[in-house]
Amino acid sequence: MHVLLCEDDDLIASGIAAGLTAQGMTVDRVATAGAAQAMLQAATFDVMVLDLGLPDEDGLKLLQRLRQQGESLPVLVLTARDAVTDRVDGLQAGADDYLLKPFDLRELAARLHTLLRRAAGRAVNVIEHGPLSYDPSSRETCLGGVPVDLSRREQALLQALLHNRGRVLSSEQLKDSVYGFGDEVESNALNVHIHHLRRKLGNGIVETVRGLGYRLGPAQLPEVEQP
Amino acid sequence: MSLRVRLTLILGAAFVVIWALAAAWMLRDLRHQMMFSLDQRLVASARMVAGLIDQMPQPLVARGEGAKLSADQLSVPDGMACQVSSLRGEIIARNHTKDHALDDDRSGFRDQTIDGARWRTFTYYRGDFRITTADRHQEREALNRSILLAASAPVLVALLGSLGLLWLGIGKGLAPLNRMRDALRRRSPDALEPLQVRGLPSELQPLQDTQNQLFQRIAQTIERERRLTDDAAHELRTPLTAIKTHLQVARMTEGAAREQALEHAEQGADRMHRTLEQLLLLARVEGSLSFEDGVQCSAEQVARQAIQDTGVGQRIDLQLAPGTAQVYLGMPAPLAVTALRNLLDNALRHTRGSEPVELAVRMDEGRVAFTVRDHGPGIAEQDLEHLTERFWRSGQSGSCGLGLAIVQAIVQRCAGSLRFDSRSDGLRVLLQVPLRTQSV
Repeated sequence: MHVLLCEDDDLIASGIAAGLTAQGMTVDRVATAGAAQAMLQAATFDVMVLDLGLPDEDGLKLLQRLRQQGESLPVLVLTARDAVTDRVDGLQAGADDYLLKPFDLRELAARLHTLLRRAAGRAVNVIEHGPLSYDPSSRETCLGGVPVDLSRREQALLQALLHNRGRVLSSEQLKDSVYGFGDEVESNALNVHIHHLRRKLGNGIVETVRGLGYRLGPAQLPEVEQP
Repeated sequence: MSLRVRLTLILGAAFVVIWALAAAWMLRDLRHQMMFSLDQRLVASARMVAGLIDQMPQPLVARGEGAKLSADQLSVPDGMACQVSSLRGEIIARNHTKDHALDDDRSGFRDQTIDGARWRTFTYYRGDFRITTADRHQEREALNRSILLAASAPVLVALLGSLGLLWLGIGKGLAPLNRMRDALRRRSPDALEPLQVRGLPSELQPLQDTQNQLFQRIAQTIERERRLTDDAAHELRTPLTAIKTHLQVARMTEGAAREQALEHAEQGADRMHRTLEQLLLLARVEGSLSFEDGVQCSAEQVARQAIQDTGVGQRIDLQLAPGTAQVYLGMPAPLAVTALRNLLDNALRHTRGSEPVELAVRMDEGRVAFTVRDHGPGIAEQDLEHLTERFWRSGQSGSCGLGLAIVQAIVQRCAGSLRFDSRSDGLRVLLQVPLRTQSV
């Protein structure tokens, strides 16, 4: 999951970024509303964590403007202000969820997963795909009931494909899901991850669409895959 | 009891008493006049009978005793008795058949009882005759009563009418008060919007205006308090969030990442500590706690102590006017040092690179003047008034927004003054504090 974190307090931002990364997410940090908007135009994100007290602009104004521009990205608002009017204002401005500081990192992660799940139109958290099941919050991948060990990048890649079932994703979009904006990416890194994923979950799991990109294919049972 | 009932009762009672007194006075006069008129009638009738007798043939007496003249002949009004008798007492004529004579031998008015009935008589001597006219008291009283009745009925009606009008008029007059009462009753207890009652009289309008001003002030106070609590919550929750987040990260990670998370958590704790200290200091300065520690500090000592407390004394350029080592400040030394140090911290925070901050100490009209000058970008005109607000900070200054609020609180407590002068080449802050009086 690729998260855009918009938080001006350096200490908090570094903590959230480290915590979410440790829970398997890819996090990009910005400290101002202007940077957030530039970032949204430059890359694809799954969810945004927005602090309301930004130095250059009120977070709610940014959110309102984004919604007016048709941005449908799920947004979780963080704030240290607990007045009811603040919360109502936040939700009315287009926030999808609301978390009061101080919060628990696991709760933040769980809420982000829920937001993503809702955005994908699913009612349960675990994503089922044939014999494959993937739980985004516990990051457990099972194939025919047997747990499969995936690296963090492989999980991010699988999640991106599962969230976009039936759609073709360009390699740029996949890279956005797997890597942060500042990460140094080797030119063939994505291919390496796709290769590993195919090895663990069956050759058909990632279909190559020539000239366009990649698509989620059918998962195969391990008995078939591993003789 | 409602104001309306109360007013009506008071005014109504006054009305009734005054009208009753006036009526009694009027009726007494009326009765007196009527009795006088009836007496005059007796007199007139007696004189008229006398006139009649004069015109009659004189040997009236010779006709013998008991000769009677009819009432018609005597032509006195009905209900009045008339008797003509000789000086010897023989009754010559009378218009009634009473057995008892109107027995009177003195001239003038008399009251007498004949056959159980009370009469008013008038006796008049004319030549050889004695003429007596009389009427019954009972008839007089009956007449009197009917006149009283006729006169008092309108008075009574007028009185009742007045009371009714009084009730209606007071109700109408108090209507604005009732509207105000209803408007107040409809409000929820914690409503703060202004009261809007139209058409209030000049006595009530100021009441409504004052009330509305009060509502407005209360609303402003509540809003200010709410914002302040909200700001304080924000300032405390932010470092707390940093601490909590990094501690959780430390639990999730290992090695260098873990060490760094713990270090960050500690930074958050330091920041929280600073904010708490500042908040407590502000509360103490604004409260009535004593800061007096008995140590006397000269202006120069205060300046040097404040510079030392900033921890970057080499960046501060101290200019001392002569004599400032011998003047003592009229305020507790810890407060003076804190105020000056906060000003220096602020100046250091807004000065780029290694440019110095200037602190000048001099005497100014019997006060000590500390001037702190930085070489920062200065501050916008419209922001000057916010400088001493709690939790207000300019951009990303990294302060907790309480430093200048504390200085302001200290200045207010110690009768000093604080002025800001922002120019393009930096902000100048002038802090003036009073001197210690000689007697202390």
